[in-house]
Amino acid sequence: MKVVKAGLQTTLQGAPFNGSRHLGMPAAGAADCLSLALANFLVGKPCGEIAIEITLTDAIFEFDEPCSIAVVGAAEYVRINGHDHPQHQPLKLMAGEKLDIGPSRPGCRTYLAIAAEIHADGLLGGQSTYLAAGLGGFHGRAIKAKDIIPFSQVAPAVDLDRITPLNLRPHYSNNHVLRVTRGPEAVKAYEGVMDDLCLRPYAVGARANRMGIALEGAPLSASESSNMPSAAVFSGTIQLPPSGQPYLLGPDAQTTGGYPRIAQIIRADRHLIGQLGSGSRIQFVHTTAERAIEIYREKLSLLSSWLGQINLW
Amino acid sequence: MSVHDPMIHICDDWISIKLPDWKTILAAQNALSASNHWTEIVPGLDSIAVQFDPALLSPDDAARMASDQMKNLTRVVSHSSATVVIPVCYDAALAPDREYVAEKLGIAAAALPSWHASQLQRVAMLGFMPGFAYLESEEECHAIGRLASPRQLVSAGSIGIIGGQSCIYSFDSPGGWPIIGRTPLRLFDPAKNQPALLASGQTVRFQSITKDAFDNWQREENA
Repeated sequence: MKVVKAGLQTTLQGAPFNGSRHLGMPAAGAADCLSLALANFLVGKPCGEIAIEITLTDAIFEFDEPCSIAVVGAAEYVRINGHDHPQHQPLKLMAGEKLDIGPSRPGCRTYLAIAAEIHADGLLGGQSTYLAAGLGGFHGRAIKAKDIIPFSQVAPAVDLDRITPLNLRPHYSNNHVLRVTRGPEAVKAYEGVMDDLCLRPYAVGARANRMGIALEGAPLSASESSNMPSAAVFSGTIQLPPSGQPYLLGPDAQTTGGYPRIAQIIRADRHLIGQLGSGSRIQFVHTTAERAIEIYREKLSLLSSWLGQINLW
Repeated sequence: MSVHDPMIHICDDWISIKLPDWKTILAAQNALSASNHWTEIVPGLDSIAVQFDPALLSPDDAARMASDQMKNLTRVVSHSSATVVIPVCYDAALAPDREYVAEKLGIAAAALPSWHASQLQRVAMLGFMPGFAYLESEEECHAIGRLASPRQLVSAGSIGIIGGQSCIYSFDSPGGWPIIGRTPLRLFDPAKNQPALLASGQTVRFQSITKDAFDNWQREENA
């Protein structure tokens, strides 16, 4: 598959790296694991297989062999040789055809799954791209125009009648409600900060990428000495730097940090981080850890009726 | 330790446990590693965190389990592993903040290599980037602090220092620590079975090498 137009940031992403955070290795992996899972399932692949993650702007690919694909995400349109085709179902491409995946509108990321094994660099049991260290994926970097993405000819059997049920299709939006539990430092001096976080509206600032998102809104009261001994952080952790502007960590965030961890987006909602683009509005809602896992299990149970065994990250 | 212990904080799929000192953190890391319930075990400077699959474990069960596993921590201080010697070239060409650090410490820049290489260091944790090591010196030291504005590019292998803490950059990356030298060793090599050169708890000593030795070593590392 030849890349005609790569777009802003297109990378190979699948399941995250697991069990290596003590080595300083972040999760990486698809920023929106739900859209990835839905796309992979349509081409007969396990949910965490490597697919192509496209960010914000449109991307164009040309296939030199016939191939089945599926597109799920925030893209405004999917076109084959200029003709519109739907998301959420497998599409057949003939040799020489051009696939144009439109810009994200609304939302931020789109996944292109291919009914063949995409060749990606492996390490620590994973193959996703971790851009900051140039590891995994396609030579550790974002895909550029003229790159050839190699994949095996052995395609899994694709059921062309497989269409994502309407009730399972994610709603792509620029307005998000994200549920959070209290973070380890949201106690004592920072106890009220968590409540303030959930009372005020926030917007995604210009500094937004796979590593993290600067949130804009009325600043929270950060203590003067808001550095603390570095401690574990995860995707979805919300830190409070001295500026008082909360910082939301993404899948490529470092494994430890020195700012107070005031809140944690619950696992069930973390896939939405991948759809937060500059200008998106967020309302945080406080929930408990116990309630959060009920929500997570309900979500898995709903999804597994279609996707089979699945986990989200 | 109980589930309502103020030292334990519970999120929906990870818990953070405050611990008194690095020996306890290291012992906790060993004890928790024996269990297959944890998808991640991440030591911090005064805490440890474990992540779990919330489809399988409830947060309270996870906290209870972690407490149980940490009940009888055997304080094995890792004298089992020998001190790792890290060659460092302190040549001015690779040490842009040599003068700045020497001035902060009140010593001559020429004396900096022997001062730094004489100290026994311990890996407090890995973080920031894969294989990036935070080191703590056994000797007391003035705080030096970070640079007023971080550099856009710090070369892989660079040795930073902010006082009693040193660090080794594992990849070319932005960075705010004053830089006093560079090692030719690769801190993280994805082709290796154990990609990270260092692990938390290990003791480290720096050894001063010449620029020529650095260049030769780096050629071999990259060969």
